[in-house]
Amino acid sequence: MFKFALKNMAIKKVKIVLIVISIVISACVGILAYNISEQIDSGFKTTAGYYDMIIGPSGSATQLAMNTMFFTEKPLGTISYEYVEELQQDMRVNKVVPFTMGDSYNGAKIVGTTPDFLEGKQVADGEMYDEKFECVVGSAVAEKYGLSLGDSLITSHGLAEGGSEHEGNPLTVVGILKSTKTAYDNVIFTPIETVWATHDHEEEGEEEEHEEHAEHGEICAILVKSKSFNSYNALKTQYSENTKLLVINPSEVLREVLENVDMSTKIVYILCLIILIMNIFIISVITLLNMYDSKKEIALMRLIGIGMNKINLVYIIQNGIIGLVSTLLAFAASRLCLLLMGSYVASMGIVLDTAKIYPMELIIMAVVFVISVLPTVICTVSMSKKDGISE
Amino acid sequence: MISIKGVSKQFANETAIDYRDLEFKEGSSYMLLGASGCGKSTLLNMIAGILTPETGSIEIGGEDMTKKSQKEKDRFRIEKIGYIFQDFKLIPEMTVMDNIGILRLEKVDISGADEVLKSLGILDKKNKKVKFLSGGEKQRVAIARAIVKKPDIILADEPTGNLNFAIGEAVIQQLTEISKGKTLIAVTHDERLGKYFDFIIDMNEVTGGRRDV
Repeated sequence: MFKFALKNMAIKKVKIVLIVISIVISACVGILAYNISEQIDSGFKTTAGYYDMIIGPSGSATQLAMNTMFFTEKPLGTISYEYVEELQQDMRVNKVVPFTMGDSYNGAKIVGTTPDFLEGKQVADGEMYDEKFECVVGSAVAEKYGLSLGDSLITSHGLAEGGSEHEGNPLTVVGILKSTKTAYDNVIFTPIETVWATHDHEEEGEEEEHEEHAEHGEICAILVKSKSFNSYNALKTQYSENTKLLVINPSEVLREVLENVDMSTKIVYILCLIILIMNIFIISVITLLNMYDSKKEIALMRLIGIGMNKINLVYIIQNGIIGLVSTLLAFAASRLCLLLMGSYVASMGIVLDTAKIYPMELIIMAVVFVISVLPTVICTVSMSKKDGISE
Repeated sequence: MISIKGVSKQFANETAIDYRDLEFKEGSSYMLLGASGCGKSTLLNMIAGILTPETGSIEIGGEDMTKKSQKEKDRFRIEKIGYIFQDFKLIPEMTVMDNIGILRLEKVDISGADEVLKSLGILDKKNKKVKFLSGGEKQRVAIARAIVKKPDIILADEPTGNLNFAIGEAVIQQLTEISKGKTLIAVTHDERLGKYFDFIIDMNEVTGGRRDV
């Protein structure tokens, strides 16, 4: 039965390849859209949850949040480190973490901060930095550039590749972070003093065109965790009065960003739905045309005495194979797309996990499988009610 | 023994054919002659259980085909009847063996296929796609598929209709030869082939043609 079904498929290979391509494209788009939107959503929620306040120079709230949470965009500018010292003395504050950014290594951004910033992140190899010019690298950076403990990194000025190199101040790799599948995997972390020292040394010797970076005693942002909601409100009111500063709640800002992303996601979903409906229609039409073409075959088999249940089974096996292969290929194609998109999206601070599978993806695959088999069942059942000769 | 009694078949175009009672003896070969539309093919289809008459009975070995369900008729056809069609009813994209292998869907033993193909002179074509065969070869494949299962009854609906006389005669010669000991009922227009059959039945006399309902 199975052998005959395969032989029968082999004689219609062009048609079957077209059907498979049609199903794969529609299912892949559906799976991919859902997976990416879920990963971005959960990535945002996980990252934004810990700090309740970010203080930076006045400017775009989204830019400040995206820069400090996902290391995307450029810093808004710099603010005095004195604010950090002031907040550290404040009884309403639980944790204060300075943040600065301005240099890079082969395009991987370098963040100057305290080890507190990496709380909850595990060092897979080595240890957390302690001294100036030591650094801990994200897992993706280590993998991409083949970095290991003790390696010296010649960093360059600016966040993009091609900036002037800080040859006199190499960083030493003392630790490699365990993969988190977040933006942290794409970044190099070093004490804030490294950033200051690097630029102090260079400015002594040469004059160059500067991109925005922190001079000694300056930082790009401060991440704050308040002791209570009241403390948060009071601190926010207090620092918002300073017109040089921008105070944001990262959760609120990211929620707004997410709403925009959600809108985009909804549009993608609607498009996917339209594509899926069109494909259901196309798949059904192709399958029905295929079955119509097969009517002669079916009539032939019935005339020589093959029972309709056996004929049904042959065509269900055929379309089952088509559905199964298409669904699996669609899934594989979606992972390949995730992998290809991963390097592009990573540059924006989001790491896509190709191994992440959501239950909804399996449901989409099951639906695709069912719609690729259902028309056959309907068609053969309706045929079985007629006389073989009348076909 | 195939026994046709009081059979009448009605068609969608509001015509009907009434058959006089007929009997086909076991192990004999019959040639059905007659004008187009006189009911030759319809009779074969009713014997094969593909069509059901409105009245009368068609008894084969004591069993009334008209009383059987479609499933039972299908089963009977696959087990007892070898049917050869004028237009071969083969899948052109498949090989000769694959076309015969269709029978395996119903677990029919086709282990004798090589022997049958050899006796029909087409063993060397067994792995060729049917679409590359000549008309005579295709008809031989159809015969092979019909007889490989060793049926008790062989029905042939104008097996030479698509062939020239020389090839048609050779096909009929082989068909009658290979069907010895079985009941063979063949429909043909060509009276010259009558010499190969035990009996010739003029279907014009059996039915008197179609009548309006």
